[in-house]
Formats: sequence, C-alpha cells, structure tokens
Amino acid sequence: MNLLRGFATTIKHVLEEPVTVEYPEQERPVRERFKGRHALKRYDNGLEKCIGCSLCAAACPADAIWVEAAENTDDERYSPGERYAKTYEINMLRCIFCGYCEDACPTEAIVLEHEYRLSFSDRRDAIYTKDRLLDPVPPGGQDTPQITEPGQFDRAIPDMEDPD
Amino acid sequence: MQSQQGNKFTIPIGPQHPALKEPEHFEFNVDGELVTGASVRLGYVHRGIEKGTENRSFVQSMYLLERVCGICSHVHATAFCLGVERLAEIEAPPRAQAIRVLVAELERIHSHMLWLGVGAHEAGFDTLFMYSWRDRETVLNLLEDITGNRINYSTNVLGGVKCDIDREQAAAIRQGLDFLEERTTHYLDVVTSDMMFLRRTRGVGVMTYDESQRLGAVGPTARASGVARDLRVDAAYAAYDKYPVNLVTETAGDLEARFVVRIKELFESFRVIRAVLDDLPEGDLTTRMPRRVKEGDTISRVEAPRGELFYYIKSNGTDTAERVKVRTPTLPNMASVLTLAVGHQLADMPMILVGIDPCFSCNDRMVSVKGTLDSQCWTWEQLRQYGIEYYR
Repeated sequence: MNLLRGFATTIKHVLEEPVTVEYPEQERPVRERFKGRHALKRYDNGLEKCIGCSLCAAACPADAIWVEAAENTDDERYSPGERYAKTYEINMLRCIFCGYCEDACPTEAIVLEHEYRLSFSDRRDAIYTKDRLLDPVPPGGQDTPQITEPGQFDRAIPDMEDPD
Repeated sequence: MQSQQGNKFTIPIGPQHPALKEPEHFEFNVDGELVTGASVRLGYVHRGIEKGTENRSFVQSMYLLERVCGICSHVHATAFCLGVERLAEIEAPPRAQAIRVLVAELERIHSHMLWLGVGAHEAGFDTLFMYSWRDRETVLNLLEDITGNRINYSTNVLGGVKCDIDREQAAAIRQGLDFLEERTTHYLDVVTSDMMFLRRTRGVGVMTYDESQRLGAVGPTARASGVARDLRVDAAYAAYDKYPVNLVTETAGDLEARFVVRIKELFESFRVIRAVLDDLPEGDLTTRMPRRVKEGDTISRVEAPRGELFYYIKSNGTDTAERVKVRTPTLPNMASVLTLAVGHQLADMPMILVGIDPCFSCNDRMVSVKGTLDSQCWTWEQLRQYGIEYYR
C-alpha cells in the first residue's frame, strides 16, 4: 500500500509543470516596481529632464554617480531652466540599485528601468555615460541641443502632473 | 588533522570547508567519533560596516545597514529607522508602521522557509530542501511585487516607508499565503513524522531551559527550549501592539523542537499578515524627517527571524551618525553551538550548527589581528606596514 502511495506521489509530480525557467531562452518578466538599469528621461518635446543639480550624486550611498553641470542658453538648450548635465556617468559596478537617486530627483529625470542584463567584458564599459543612459527622442520631439525662444523655458521644474 | 596525546585529535573545519556555507573557523576536539570540545574563531567576513556608517549620512547609512544581512535586510533597516526616528523625535504614520510589520513578516516567512531548506539539506533530506525553496519563491515573488526587489527590499525610509500596498497586491498576498499555509501544514507533518529525518533531529543537541538562559540564546533557538521571549510581544515596536503576535514555544529544546517552533511561527506570520491586510490604516506613508538629527543616543531592538537584533545609535547633532553598533542574533546563539557540540558525534555538527540558523557574515563585527604589537590600538602607518609585511 505504501509502495502505491509512493508511486502515486511520483506520478502526480511528473505531470506538474516545472517551476524553473530555462533562462537565456525564456525570460521571466520582472515586476512593475523592479529596480534595474537607470534611464535619463526626456520631455515630450525632446528636452532632457535632468537639470544637473547633482542631488542624485549626493544621495547615492555607493558614490556611483558623477554629474557635471553646464549653463543652458536659448541658442543651445538641453533642458528647461538654467543648467543641464554636461557629464552624467553611473558606474554600474558600484551601483547597488537602491533607487535613492530616483527618490532624490526633483524633476523625475532618472528612473530605474527594468533592464537587468548588465555584464561587461571591460571595467571601462561598466561606466554608463550620458549618451548610453539617455532615452531616445520621443516622436514629435527634437534632439538636444535645441534652439528655443527666450523666456519659454525659464523654470527648471516645469508644472508636472501629479506622480500618483 | 594534528595528533595530540593518545587517540585525541583536533579537527579544524573552515574557514573554507564544504560543510560551511560561509567562512568561519571551528576546531573540534574529538575522541574517536565523539566531540569533547569545540571552539570557534569569528571574523573572516568582517566588512567594516560600522566604520562605514561614520562617513555616510543617516539616509545613506540605511542603505548600507540594510545590506548587513542578505536574508533579514528589512529588520536591519527597521531597527535603524526606529532608532533614528526616536532620536529625531518623529514618528512614522500608522500606515507606514503597518507596512513595516507586513514586510517584516513576509521576510520572516522567507527566512524560515530558507532555513527549513538548509536544515533539511544538512540532514541529507534534499527533497524537502528543494520543495521548501520552491515554495519560498512564492513569498519572494510577493516581496518583489511590493517592493521591486526579491531581497534588500529598501522598503523603509527615515520617517516612513517607500512602497504602498494596493488592492491587487493585497489579493495576491492572500492568494500566496493560502498556498503557503497548505504547504507549511504539510512540512510540519513531514518534520514531525518522517522517521529518517527524526533520527537526525529528535534528541539531538538538547538545550535545556536553564542552559539556554545561561548561554543567552535568543530567538527561535531559545523559544525551542521553552524561553518565552520575543521582542514583538515583550517590547512591541512598529505596529506590533496593534497586530499582536502569539508566542510560539516548545519545551523539548532539541533540533526537532527548533524545526517545529520555526514552522509554527510561519502560521503566526500568516495570521499577522492577514490581520494587517484586513485592517490597514489609511493615511500618509511618510512624515517629514529633519536632515540633522538631534544629539543623543538610543538603543533600538527588533525581533529578526533569527532572534533579537540590537542597534545602538549615537548622534552628534549633524547628519552623520557618530557611532552605530550592530549586534546580530547569531552572536549570542553561537555560544550554544559550542556547548551543545560536546558529547555529540562529529557527523551531527553541521546539524547543530544549522539549528541556530547561523548567519556568519552578519555576525562579524570585529576582526582581531595577531601581530607583534601589544597595543590594542594600531595607527594607520602600523597597519599599512603590517599589510606590506603580510603579503611579502
């Protein structure tokens, strides 16, 4: 009787779906709040959200972020307001993906996205520069630097919709 | 293996050894198969975390301290948060406190399930190991759903929590808990009735009530010996006064009792999580936290899955802590391993060690350097010279 019970258990489990995922061929989707590789966001018109304030670098517990700001002009405008990030580098070998840069950002420019396949064959490749982090220009937008009307983009923090 | 007088040997195990998951050095004196004495040397995974907090702001320190332990990271952050909030004289809103309890209990499920697997693996019962870890995925997925991470959740921020729980997530948690409850009932049946498993656990490593008091054991290890001590009950923190926990104790004190205590604590966690979901207070998630924290010092204690976690935080009025002292539950429990080892067979040592749910790298707060200097205090130059000589 015990023998039959044992075999019944085995057969029951043979018919079950496996819980493992064959990783490189199949991928398990990550959850909505997953914190993966960063991305620098743009407004719909193509201007960068980042204003080069370095608050993310100050908040970073792992000292992974390096920001250098420069002045915007109306002939060469990268972001609304006075300044933009001339250099924006994240060292992915140092980053612990805590998401505090995201919380510190006043313009919601830096967001931790869902990309988790980060591997490098060279330590230098682990430093993500601004051109690798920046999102592509949205349709209908214009690449930076843009030439803009004086007085149009004075405010560094434009009127944003409520994040909730 | 080095020979001593007669037939007695000292067997060194570790720091690198297949039986240990983390580096730690044990020396067992054996007479034949029986262990007659044991000693331990800690400090192989000292990471300088306490020193690291001294040049990070309170907010940055929290992310560092959360990484003290890979399994019970949330309780570390909670202990630090509660301490700093007390120093800053603010209190997190009720909803934040409830979410802290919720995540802490989910984490306890994750930790106990993990331990059940490790314990079964050390006993040679790998089937239970595989099944309990498969079921642990359920709770890890729930945690990923709530916080975005499977481990190191960073739920806490100073003055509240980061992540809210909506209705869909609550429903997912309830569904996951129903599945886990069914499985846990099965595991309780397995660990108390499987004859082969009981021969590895029943009557092995018996720690009496008096002994556990003398050795200062904490957490489920002490509760398996009948010590009714649990900080969630004795000194309710966060929202545990609103969602009370029933103490789970056993009297046998052997390894079986430790399995039973931890599995019964799982049921208790399921119940508390359901209570939190049923009665989650509305309101804000954070309150305003000042950047500089008032001068003073405080002690913050929380119940980690492994036992009492102790934090001492001293602030000097700036945005950086002057001193943070961490004591994880493995350290007080380690003494019980060394005492219980005596009189058992060498083959029981991995089981007795695993019985306290050890976490070595959390526990290493100090490393002693054996050198030629008599002084306890070394200057930077002396340390540098020591390093050069060491690697020569």
